[in-house]
Amino acid sequence: MELMGNIMMTAFIAVFVENTIFSRALGTSTLVVISRNRKNLFGFGLSVTYITALISVLTYFVNKLFANNDNSYIYMPLVYICVLGFVYILTLLCLWKFLPRLFAKAKKYVHISAFNCAVLGSMFLISKYCETLSDYFIHGLGIGLGFVFAVYLTAIVYDKIYSEKVPYPFRGYPIMLIYLGILSMAFWGLSGHTLNY
Amino acid sequence: MIVANDNSCKGIVKNALLYKNPIFVSGMVIAPVVVMANNFFDAVTLVIAFSLITFFTLLMSSFVPKNIVYTVRIILYTIIGALVYVPSVIFLKYLMPEGVEALGIFFPLFITSSFIISRSETIFFLETKGKMFLDIIFCIIGYDAAVLLFAAIREILAFGTICGNIIGMPVEIAALQNPFGGFILLGLIAAVFRSILLFIKRVRQK
Repeated sequence: MELMGNIMMTAFIAVFVENTIFSRALGTSTLVVISRNRKNLFGFGLSVTYITALISVLTYFVNKLFANNDNSYIYMPLVYICVLGFVYILTLLCLWKFLPRLFAKAKKYVHISAFNCAVLGSMFLISKYCETLSDYFIHGLGIGLGFVFAVYLTAIVYDKIYSEKVPYPFRGYPIMLIYLGILSMAFWGLSGHTLNY
Repeated sequence: MIVANDNSCKGIVKNALLYKNPIFVSGMVIAPVVVMANNFFDAVTLVIAFSLITFFTLLMSSFVPKNIVYTVRIILYTIIGALVYVPSVIFLKYLMPEGVEALGIFFPLFITSSFIISRSETIFFLETKGKMFLDIIFCIIGYDAAVLLFAAIREILAFGTICGNIIGMPVEIAALQNPFGGFILLGLIAAVFRSILLFIKRVRQK
């Protein structure tokens, strides 16, 4: 029961309190790019979740092998990129072999969902804050689900953001940033702040 | 979107600096700007790190043959980025150790920035190596100038200082130091930037 509670709490923190987009802005550029092409927003989000979850497990083993000296910050990005490349190729090969229909749809955005700041950033973040394999996995999954949640919140206002009712200087990208800022402010409140009266 | 449609050198420069400015128009690599560009000094570290990694990665990526499939090409671009990161971080750690510490995880994240991923493909379609070089240089200058301008405005509004010197602002909006403040301020500046471009276009048409 205690373990279940810990898992739920870790996942809640990763999705809401430390959401990659709202708390650290990781993956915002990718969100801006994919929101312009509205198709496959959820497919893209799920693809990111799958990659962050899988990558988190591999990151645990890679860290055990390589990240054990003071100079690891110099070469670890290269190691992480190699792991990402491996997962990317493995995913494409599996889709091509076993799910050809999904492969035809997914191949257009698998590369963006693998090589972006949210995924690479998740590898650095979980390396910094997690210790056990289960921690790594839950955080990785939570970061991915947090990204899906952010994509959902962007998708539901897409028509309004690009509406002609919005004055031209604000339409699209500028108002999206302001909207993300307001959401970020709301989620920032969840991390708990006391007011001095 | 307002763009310079000609593929001449002048058009490339105008697009890179103004009409397709990576920060104010295209929304590329905004995470470190929103979170880290709180003051002018941090912004200087940020633009040096970005410029070093982006310039050399794009330059080396331009030699990746076109006939290699995109699946492999994209891995090669990011591996080149990770290799360029090694001397860049050693150099900057020697030059400005505190700045590199402050950048934290955002420094290595430049390797997979949307700028590198998208530009390394776009530059293939430019006619000559000269134009490609011009495009890379001016896109980086456009990014750097936008980040420095944004950080200067943010520092004035959030801390009431510029380059650490107190300028006596009547009100300091401390919330702008946070990522949400960064998002909102960047959105407002992007809107002002678009208005200025629109005004210039209208004046020219008249």
